[in-house]
Amino acid sequence: MDDIIIAHEIMQEHEIERYFEIWRESVMRSRLTITAVFLKIANTTEPNTNHQVTSFLQSKLRKTDLLFQLSDGNHWGIFFLQSSDVEARAFLKRIFAILKAERKLQHIALNASITEIRNNNVMFEDLLVKNKEMLAGDEQLTWTITEVKDYSEQPTELVKVSIIEQNAIFRQVLESGLNRLDIPHFTLEVKNYEDGYSFLQSDSYKTGHLHLVIMNDILPRKNGLEILHIMRNMPNEKKFIIYMLSERNSEGAALNAYEGGVDEYIVKPFNLRLLEAKIKRTFARFWL
Amino acid sequence: MIKLSISFLITIIAILLVVLFIFMVYLLVQRQRESHFENARDRYIQNYSQLWYDYLFNKEHFSMVLVPRGRAQVEAIELIFSSYLKNIINEKVQCDIKQFSNQYLKKFYEKDLLSKRWSIRMNALYRIADLQIDELLIMCQEFEKTKISEEEYFQLLKIYSIFQSNLFMEKIKMPIVSYSESEYRRLFVLLEDDVFIRFFDDFNSWPANIQFAVIDTAPVKRNMQYIDQLKKLLSHDVAEINIRALKGLYEMGVIDEIESYIPFVTSDMWEARLMVAKVFKHVPLTYSYSYLEQLLQDENWWVRSQAAKTIVEDRYGIAKLQQFIESSNDQYAIEMAQEIAARKEENK
Repeated sequence: MDDIIIAHEIMQEHEIERYFEIWRESVMRSRLTITAVFLKIANTTEPNTNHQVTSFLQSKLRKTDLLFQLSDGNHWGIFFLQSSDVEARAFLKRIFAILKAERKLQHIALNASITEIRNNNVMFEDLLVKNKEMLAGDEQLTWTITEVKDYSEQPTELVKVSIIEQNAIFRQVLESGLNRLDIPHFTLEVKNYEDGYSFLQSDSYKTGHLHLVIMNDILPRKNGLEILHIMRNMPNEKKFIIYMLSERNSEGAALNAYEGGVDEYIVKPFNLRLLEAKIKRTFARFWL
Repeated sequence: MIKLSISFLITIIAILLVVLFIFMVYLLVQRQRESHFENARDRYIQNYSQLWYDYLFNKEHFSMVLVPRGRAQVEAIELIFSSYLKNIINEKVQCDIKQFSNQYLKKFYEKDLLSKRWSIRMNALYRIADLQIDELLIMCQEFEKTKISEEEYFQLLKIYSIFQSNLFMEKIKMPIVSYSESEYRRLFVLLEDDVFIRFFDDFNSWPANIQFAVIDTAPVKRNMQYIDQLKKLLSHDVAEINIRALKGLYEMGVIDEIESYIPFVTSDMWEARLMVAKVFKHVPLTYSYSYLEQLLQDENWWVRSQAAKTIVEDRYGIAKLQQFIESSNDQYAIEMAQEIAARKEENK
């Protein structure tokens, strides 16, 4: 077991607010979930306990986690960046187990609350108040973990979908399939084009929205590889998720497409449900 | 000088004008018919492709309005079905298309097979294979007995390979027409694995173009069971077969041991040495380096180049080439190693 390190410098409530505002905005912009954990000592009368708790918590955090102390001196907060409530809960269970087992720390008992933040409708003050209320319950209870659910609702994001396929019947099949596709927290706006040139003329690819492009490699007027090249050379090319469909089942063609920047290379004929599953997995990766 | 009376000339012009007029009327009528046909076809696609989609993919009830009435609607259905079959794999859809075609399209293709026009008969044969109209198999066998072209016979073989593999094997053994390697490949690629593997059983009994087509088709099928079959062919007496087997094994990309390949490092055929240098791409460099070093000093430029490319693919390949450059006396090999290493550095 780690030895206790005595009192380190720790950030204070008023210092952390500015950082929180930046993180809160990046929750939306970069789709990064943050989770706040608040801790309170349940019942102890021993002196120097606050220092011990601070040092203990600091020794258990990752470099990407931020510990701070609230102005009342009885609460600690930790922001876990790019982490969900599942990881925060696992962390709490781990530190609770260590505290219970460690003889030198057995006089400490904690209660904790978890707030997963998946939108930017949260003010720092409100966050503190809600968690303090959550932790202000029965003093006799120890090692409890409660949750504030007010900010875990993920906003719904609009995704533009462009199908570029020459065969009108197959285009219609793809369009119907994608219009039926239910992806949690994303709405798809599906448009289709019969050739590369009409897609480029549409200007729909110039907006800042996340954009799923499903296109054939061989197309009239501008072909798939040319469109791929244009999209991947745009400054905000990361917004494109590009699926290329091809009749060519050769390693060379697939390699060429992947090196050009496609996210998926799908050989025709393919299973429509497999395409839908791949699209769902692609979007599931955007949020933790 | 020939003397022609004016009345005679007027008669000739009048006749020509009448012929021209009849011809124009004929063209206009034909165009009208064609346009009527196209409109009927497009109208069917426009009105019913969504119904077809709902029936085939969304398990909705079959509607009798989908049953074709006339040639134009048959062509529309062909277009819808071929768009589905060419782009989408779905067993249920394939099964429904087969069932529908056997029930409602069979009579059209049956009639087409009796047509005097070659293109109509060929189109029917293509559709029978694509839409899997197995109820026309007997009709096809009868059709084979008539005077048919090489292309029609080829298409018949394709149909047999899909519907009755035993019959296909019989026909292939008694070739009425000899096809090219690429044509045989087109046939073999359609075969189920349990039928295709039978070609390896009595491999030597087949003519060379069939043997080559079999070897070239095996890696396309991406089935591990062909690795052993191709490896057996490495000891075949014919060098061309050895080289093609090496190529097939390289394309399969699974090399489980290198003992079988080592003799080709010193083969008299540079093509075999080239292929073995390629095969070693799929072998860890620790096992293959000594042989690749030997191939890097080969007398043939292609072999040297491939050996260097294979070495450089490995994580420690550049270091190995540098080591070779410092220790070797072979100027050609050193230059090749330098060139390939430099190219790799550039592409990093």
